[in-house]
Amino acid sequence: MSEEEKNKMNEQESKEGFGHISRRSFLKDAGLVIGAAPTIGVIAVSAEAATPKPADAPAAKGAAPSVPPSAGLSTIDLTINGGRHRFTVEPHWSLRQILRDEAGYTSPKDWCGGLGACGSCTVIMNGRPVLSCLTLACECNGASIETAEGIAKTKHPIIQAYINNNAFQCGYCTPGFVCTAKALLDKNKNPTEADARDALGGNLCRCATYQRHPLAVLEAARKLRGEA
Amino acid sequence: MKTLKKFAHVDAKSIDEAASILRAGKAAIISGGTDILGAMRFEILPNYPEVLVNLKTIPDMDYIKEEVGMLKIGALARLEDIAKNKLVRTKYTALAEGAHRTATPHIREMGTIAGNICQMTRCWYFRSPDNRFDCFRKGGKMCYAMQGDNRYHSIFGAVKACMAVNPSDTAPALVALNARIKTNKGLIEAEKFWDVNSSGSTVLGQDEIVTEIQIPTPAAGAKSAFIKFATRKSIDFPIVNCAVMIGAGNARVCLNAVYNKPYRATAAEESIKGKPINENNADAAGAAAVASAAELKPDDRRRWKVPIAKAMVKRAILACA
Repeated sequence: MSEEEKNKMNEQESKEGFGHISRRSFLKDAGLVIGAAPTIGVIAVSAEAATPKPADAPAAKGAAPSVPPSAGLSTIDLTINGGRHRFTVEPHWSLRQILRDEAGYTSPKDWCGGLGACGSCTVIMNGRPVLSCLTLACECNGASIETAEGIAKTKHPIIQAYINNNAFQCGYCTPGFVCTAKALLDKNKNPTEADARDALGGNLCRCATYQRHPLAVLEAARKLRGEA
Repeated sequence: MKTLKKFAHVDAKSIDEAASILRAGKAAIISGGTDILGAMRFEILPNYPEVLVNLKTIPDMDYIKEEVGMLKIGALARLEDIAKNKLVRTKYTALAEGAHRTATPHIREMGTIAGNICQMTRCWYFRSPDNRFDCFRKGGKMCYAMQGDNRYHSIFGAVKACMAVNPSDTAPALVALNARIKTNKGLIEAEKFWDVNSSGSTVLGQDEIVTEIQIPTPAAGAKSAFIKFATRKSIDFPIVNCAVMIGAGNARVCLNAVYNKPYRATAAEESIKGKPINENNADAAGAAAVASAAELKPDDRRRWKVPIAKAMVKRAILACA
């Protein structure tokens, strides 16, 4: 691959928000942020935009306050599966992007394309099962996040229960199911089959092993209560 | 996965700050984010926001508490918390059930009550990715659902040339419970909260933000119920849903997903008011509710929703027995 081609690819990557920010796009974005600060509503990517305007410049319309610098790149601290991480993120990056592309946790999957319709990108954030594709990374500062990798690492009984009950075929949706199930078990040590079905209602499984998921959840619950 | 286009992001510290940013223009609110981020990712918004104002950083906005004569719910109360709340489940049953039947557990854990009542329509012409249809709601001149496939659309006619329906599950419950919606500008009766315009589905002004939902304590002996018809038990938006509050000589019946706004079925209310709740009376109320939809032609694609709406009213009334 020629040097030029490589550069092109890097640029493309950073435009799409993947991988690391190239130096060029970082400078461009930083310019955008400063330019946007005094007059929100007008975000022009131009050379002039990079010239900072005085902070006390009159607002565009009405009494709009200046947007703080954090409106651009921001730094967030996350606890992922017990480990501490710091990321510099752009406002439009999703939590899923950060987990997969920056932190290397690839269990949050993408199926529905980011509509919130399939549950395969589920992670547990501060005790709640949430869709990482519909969560902005910049809003997660200070959050504690658990992915399927973390659940497996702690040898949570839900993992073995999924294996014992053959609750998957291709396995693509399984990390989402496991996170959702674990969040249920954290709150409810004695779920009924109806509770399990209700809690897993937002996860789709293309292989249609739906009958087996509640069995796995109930088995894990019995293990957690020390009954089996 | 499609990546979101760029925007600036502000963590608001107060409602006033958020309102002033909205006033400056080209900004949108994000609370749960489950509607706006999907809409932005698939570029269905006529004007892509340049700034997102995060309300989650404003303290104390997610309470659920009962005060003298009313239940107060903070705008950012999560749907799951409302659905699980014992007080809401016992005294404001229709709302708890409406919240519980909304979307999926994940979306209920993320989505807020204010976001749910302000959500945009699910009309497939409006939601078609990349703004393929410049429909009335996007500032265009026509409603594609009028001529096109409108099997999920309004059975009570169009509002301002838009045939889409309001997809909220909590909205009919709030209307049935006679709620009021508090904003940074005043109080709005739930019934008058929804409207059809190109910027959204509510009467809210550009810099108006919902801050609280107020529901008067139901009269002694009054009961409420919510019922939803959808293809699946979870995930799906309603094809028709209905919330009812009956008791103390009064009745309030509200259907949703049948009209551009939550549809208060006053004919059904008159029909059931003061009568004993039984199969015959509930059936008559259901028939009264959909009487004005009878003018749909026999080959109209929407006709199938009429008997469903009738049955929803009937079953919701029977659930209050």
